[in-house]
Amino acid sequence: MAQSSHPPVIVLNDLKKRFGIGNAEHYAIDGIDITIQKGEFIAIMGPSGCGKTTLLNILGLLDSGIEGDYELDGRHVATLSSRKQAHIRSQQIGFIFQSFNLISRLTVIENVALPLTYKGSSRLSRIKQASAMLQNFHLGEREYYMPHQLSGGQTQRVAIARALVNQPSIILADEPTGNLDSRTSHIIMEELSDLHKQGNTIIMVTHNPRLTTYASRVITMLDGKIDTDTGAKPAKKKRSPKRPLGKKQKGRKKKGAKS
Amino acid sequence: MKLLFLSHVQNAQQSLKSNRMRSVLTILGMAIGVASITAILALSSGASKIVSDQVEALGGNIAVVRPGAPSETPFEDIAQFPTKQYYTASTLTNYDLETIQALPGVEAAAPLMILTGGVSGESNAPLNTPIVATTPEFATISDLEVRDGQFLDPSLSINTAVIGAQLSVNIFGTEQSIGKIVTIKGEPFTIIGILKRTNSPINYNGVNFDAAVIVNRETSGKLNQDTLQIQQINIRSTSVETLDDVIVYTNKQLLKNHFDEQDFTVLSGDQIAQPTSQLFLAIAGTTAAVAAISLIVGGIGIMNIMLVSVAERTREIGIRKALGATNGNIVWQFIIESLALSIGGGISGYLVGYLAAFAISTFLPFDPLISWQTAALALGLSITIGTLFGLYPAIRAARKDPIDALRQYD
Repeated sequence: MAQSSHPPVIVLNDLKKRFGIGNAEHYAIDGIDITIQKGEFIAIMGPSGCGKTTLLNILGLLDSGIEGDYELDGRHVATLSSRKQAHIRSQQIGFIFQSFNLISRLTVIENVALPLTYKGSSRLSRIKQASAMLQNFHLGEREYYMPHQLSGGQTQRVAIARALVNQPSIILADEPTGNLDSRTSHIIMEELSDLHKQGNTIIMVTHNPRLTTYASRVITMLDGKIDTDTGAKPAKKKRSPKRPLGKKQKGRKKKGAKS
Repeated sequence: MKLLFLSHVQNAQQSLKSNRMRSVLTILGMAIGVASITAILALSSGASKIVSDQVEALGGNIAVVRPGAPSETPFEDIAQFPTKQYYTASTLTNYDLETIQALPGVEAAAPLMILTGGVSGESNAPLNTPIVATTPEFATISDLEVRDGQFLDPSLSINTAVIGAQLSVNIFGTEQSIGKIVTIKGEPFTIIGILKRTNSPINYNGVNFDAAVIVNRETSGKLNQDTLQIQQINIRSTSVETLDDVIVYTNKQLLKNHFDEQDFTVLSGDQIAQPTSQLFLAIAGTTAAVAAISLIVGGIGIMNIMLVSVAERTREIGIRKALGATNGNIVWQFIIESLALSIGGGISGYLVGYLAAFAISTFLPFDPLISWQTAALALGLSITIGTLFGLYPAIRAARKDPIDALRQYD
């Protein structure tokens, strides 16, 4: 969290992920190179099945068995034990899912406090931190609701509160507004945008081209490869295009220059 | 780590509560197994404790001599327990008794001869009514109390008898039978005393005195085809301190009498009760082993429910892993849940087992024994079962791939 912005947070070098064996074998990720700096808000776009979610899962250390190199905060992920990886997930990564993924058995505040459990905080400090986090999202009165008693937007805000309660350095969001109407989507995106302004690194997968306006960098994927990338430079505010397709050429040039 | 453990416990509590019916049934399965083992052990240790209690109550200055060589392994005694006293020709003689009586430190020694035969008063006594032939000292050594009349006395006619209260009721229809004639193997005996009820059919003399008739040693020849059989000699030393010396002297003297043949055993303290208590323990062990099968069934029930629970909560496992749970965390979460089931079953089974034991003991001549060993065994068993049968589901849970797990029900 408190790292200087000089070294990149994430470096991917010829990353590949293969599914299936024999004739059915295909690469969901087929040679990706990206460098992500601290404080970037990246939107990953692309058609269904282009490998966006797989990429996000790899970035979140949920998916092992990759080829190529993935460096997170200067550490080569391939060399880390599963225990270490879980530790990194707990300390550095916050997940936001399309389907919210709250545990329905637990109350809102218990859901938010859950990541702190694996950090080893005491129950009281967990509840305190979770409560403070929920206040930030104006959900202070919903602490003891069950997840099914909340609206979609509220549920996603709870999920975001949960992703943030550990103060992670990277937030990974997989279509965070995919299940929400446009007004609620807007609210959620404003929240993410605020987080970005506070200096968080956010990587978001989305289908919706409109949402890319919030991002500082847009990466388009196609068939497991990067199609366009609006720039490797960090935090260029509001440079994002109204029409991402028009940016295609520029992105390609940038990428070509890099490699 | 401790905090994590606490949160696992809270978590287990919540998840078991949310499936209350299922949890209660699983706990019940476990409880039945533990309850049966607890009841069996409580009753059997209660039974074997009677004998050792009696020996203790006698004051620690009692030794007994029994025919037959001492056994190498205590379990041999179990197999031979009835045989030794009833079917083998005894190696103890009248001369042995006199030798012991003459030893320093011996306050009194009394022989015990148990015969069987027809006993009748106004009506016939049950078959196998024990006829005990002994000397007057026997009453003090074995703490037999006379309720009415007196115990055997050398100054009286030898055809006198003392009978147990229950036997008196059986053959005369009353406990007031002093002066009546009891016929033992055709010989008439005058009843001079009625024993106080002992209510201890199991004791180290191997005789239920409530249902026995006691006659003078001298008459036993007549009653037993002119052969004298001493099945046991009870010795009381002058004090607890001298008992050890008495045992040593007895061993030495008897060995001399028997021409260096070790065909007798001198026992004291717990050793006296040992064959009896070990017999009970062996019976209890066997029944407990059978009961243990129900424990395994309970364990399988736990495993089954845990597997269902893991399958149901696949998505939760995925979420937890995404939020930073290690495989170890997941294993512990489910192990603790299955331990909660098994320990819950263990504790309730232990309580139910004792309730059952006390209920059953109202029909038995002894009370169940509450000991920490039984409690520890119940707890130990439930922890073992919980861990053993919870391990596989827990490992299965931890092995789940987080991505697949998150995708479930999507």
